[in-house]
Amino acid sequence: MIRTQLTSRVRALAVTVVCVAMVASVSGCGARDSLVGIREAPKAKANTAPLTVEQAKKILTRSFTAAYLGETTTGPAAKTALRAAYTREGLRGVSGRVKLASVQSPVAHSLLLAPHPKLLAVSRGFGYPRFIVAQTVASEGGLPVLHLLTSPDAATPYRIATSSEMVPPAHVNPFAPLGQGSPLVTSGAGLVVTPAKLMSLYAAQMAFPAKPVRKPPFVADSFSSQVRTGAAGVSKAVAVQAKFAQVHKVSPRSVYAVGQADGGVLVFGVIERTDSFKVKKGQNVKTSANKAFVLLSGKKAVTKSASITTLEFVVFAVPASGGRATLVAAREQIVAGSGS
Amino acid sequence: MPASTRRVLGALVATVGVVLVVLGSWMVVKLGPSGQAQFSTTSKAPGAVVVASDVLNTVDVPVRVTATRPEGGAVRLAVAPTPDATAIVATSAVSAVNAVHYPAGTMDLRATGSGELGDISTADVWRLAAKGAGSAELVIDQSRAPETVVVTSGDANPLTDVTVTLSWANRAWFFQALAAATIGAVIAAFAMTDLWQSRVIALQSDTAETTTMEVTT
Repeated sequence: MIRTQLTSRVRALAVTVVCVAMVASVSGCGARDSLVGIREAPKAKANTAPLTVEQAKKILTRSFTAAYLGETTTGPAAKTALRAAYTREGLRGVSGRVKLASVQSPVAHSLLLAPHPKLLAVSRGFGYPRFIVAQTVASEGGLPVLHLLTSPDAATPYRIATSSEMVPPAHVNPFAPLGQGSPLVTSGAGLVVTPAKLMSLYAAQMAFPAKPVRKPPFVADSFSSQVRTGAAGVSKAVAVQAKFAQVHKVSPRSVYAVGQADGGVLVFGVIERTDSFKVKKGQNVKTSANKAFVLLSGKKAVTKSASITTLEFVVFAVPASGGRATLVAAREQIVAGSGS
Repeated sequence: MPASTRRVLGALVATVGVVLVVLGSWMVVKLGPSGQAQFSTTSKAPGAVVVASDVLNTVDVPVRVTATRPEGGAVRLAVAPTPDATAIVATSAVSAVNAVHYPAGTMDLRATGSGELGDISTADVWRLAAKGAGSAELVIDQSRAPETVVVTSGDANPLTDVTVTLSWANRAWFFQALAAATIGAVIAAFAMTDLWQSRVIALQSDTAETTTMEVTT
């Protein structure tokens, strides 16, 4: 009787110990990990900025310092600095500006003489391309300048893609907090016009001979008026010796639309303008008066044709709903010339 | 409650208590007063070493990452958001740390990809970076997880024979382990006392029952 009771107790104890050991071994790995705080890693959040504010400010300082060095010095080091600071149309524009420094007015010189760039927006999420939007105001005053810096992939550093002076009395609506980042808008959902269509219509309405755009989605502005007036003036001036035409074409992959806090977008884009002159038979056109053309083409006279390429850097504010897009900033830069 | 059930419960509680004592004491010795857990591995294969977020961001305390080269060569550590770091090393040979083992203090390395990794220091994706001769270290907070650390040579030579060490510390773990050991000891003591007393009572009652039976006979 006693032996039976003892045997059953020993058996119960053994079963208990085995059960505890099994449970402990099964949960052992997880338990050991949790002893030193190990848990599941968090997932990447799509609605955050991949750059910290400190990183973005360092990038701005590095880019603007390189840009300033590139524009204020000469030689291979200056070229290296410019390539480190600028990309794509931005690099074409600054290269043209440096080439024409001796013949352009001082106002058109560096847009970067600003000690403290103001960081306005950074990209949201981990997709590419990414951007940084910044604003500078020259220390000696003048119009604020909007800058767009872009990075096409993870391995390529941010560089200045466009820089444009703001057009008075334009202002830039606020962006989302820098910690959240701002979205890159690619569709026109919720907007009065898609960024790509806006740019192509704006480019089309500046053509010469004029091709009016019906119901333009943008407000008339002084920049396009000046361009069209200038084209008409050139055409009239050369009418006896040459036939003049002007074509505006949006540069591929230059359009960036940055979402703003109110649902609107700030659209950056570059339009390439080509001024074409077809010299009439028997004419010999002296070009020495156009110092920029002579510097870029090396031609002081043309007998067949000539062309001048200018980049137009523009920035539009597109409202979320109702109204029309407004030009916020614009500048132009001659970048190439050729003649025969 | 029947005596047998009480004894089984007592044994169970005593076992739990003993387990707590053993585990708690072992943790106290292992972690030390600083509450530090440390893991390391050595990569002999040429190419960068990557510590991905599945390892780096699995704790909620800062992680210290140290890379050491025995021959004193240059070493560079940099941390970036995981999607960016992954994109940068995607087309090159890397050794990825994909698991840590506690208490062994070891880490698993998995070789992936092929090709040489170019100069990645010019990319803007790196939130923090540190460079040194022979050794360099970074302390990664968890505020911007998930992130990945990439260890490279920091010069033109490919990285080889590098020891990567991860450590993190939480003093609370030491005190929690101490508390577990103490509580386990108290539980075990009570349970064992109860078991002993119930055994004595059972033996006494068995003796009394035997005596009564003999008298009756």
